[in-house]
Amino acid sequence: MSSGTSAPKPARQHMRRNPPIAGEAEAIAKAQAGDGAAFETLYSLHKRRVYSLCLRMLGNVAEAEDLTQEAFLQLYRKIGTFRGDSAFSTWLHRLAVNVVLMHLRKKGLPQVSLEEALEPSQDDGPRKDIGARDLTLSGSIDRVTLERAVENLPPGYRLVFVLHDVEGYEHNEIAGMLDCSIGNSKSQLHKARMKLRDLLRTGERKEQPK
Amino acid sequence: MSAPNQSEIVMDCSEFQQKLPELFEEHADLGKEEHLKHCENCAALVRDLEYIAQQAKLLLPIHEPSPAVWDTIQSTLQREQADTDGRDPSDTAPPAR
Repeated sequence: MSSGTSAPKPARQHMRRNPPIAGEAEAIAKAQAGDGAAFETLYSLHKRRVYSLCLRMLGNVAEAEDLTQEAFLQLYRKIGTFRGDSAFSTWLHRLAVNVVLMHLRKKGLPQVSLEEALEPSQDDGPRKDIGARDLTLSGSIDRVTLERAVENLPPGYRLVFVLHDVEGYEHNEIAGMLDCSIGNSKSQLHKARMKLRDLLRTGERKEQPK
Repeated sequence: MSAPNQSEIVMDCSEFQQKLPELFEEHADLGKEEHLKHCENCAALVRDLEYIAQQAKLLLPIHEPSPAVWDTIQSTLQREQADTDGRDPSDTAPPAR
């Protein structure tokens, strides 16, 4: 084999979000025709993802279960409109995201408006911690620590971070789900990661022995 | 080997960090960024952001709703169906599972 070629670019490390699910297409078709058992199959296939999204966005089991329920009830009522233009899981996720956003808006949380969240804020500029060399993350973030930090992100940041970095959606898909531009999705993601870094570093500093 | 771009050499932290989201999205080889060779602060920032994105996979869904969620969905749909059909919901047999 020739060694004169340059090394291939490393493949994107994200796992595939929408691998084909055995039996899903058939279950969708049957559920669209009103088959209750097929709808239960769809629930079983997607309940974890929808529930986890709700739980991350709300941080409360009871509310997350209520919204999971609402998302699947809406799915039942709207499944006839699914045309397969996007993956079913993406379509369902969009529906679930809307349920979550509607709920948060009803609760009157100020950060809930995605448009508001997309407005640049004062702390979005370049980092001014020049010289703070000791403030690099230690490289030992565990799941619980990260989960807690994500909970403390503003909802707009949290949503894009979860959709992109956790669940692996592309920016064009997120833009479609959230009715925002691809640029806004990218910008939100970057701000979310920056904010997470701050939160994680703050946590590390608090845990350091005095 | 090409000489480093003059604009990259003089790029300050603010300029580099403005460019950073696009570099991440392009999956650019950040090791080639001139600014990072000279700026420990931005290099640490990049390491941390890459680490956070990588660790995010730890958060893939592991949570599961309680069985009560499906039970409620099922009973709600039964009730709606009975309303549509003009029947007493208590007369309806549970849907096939």
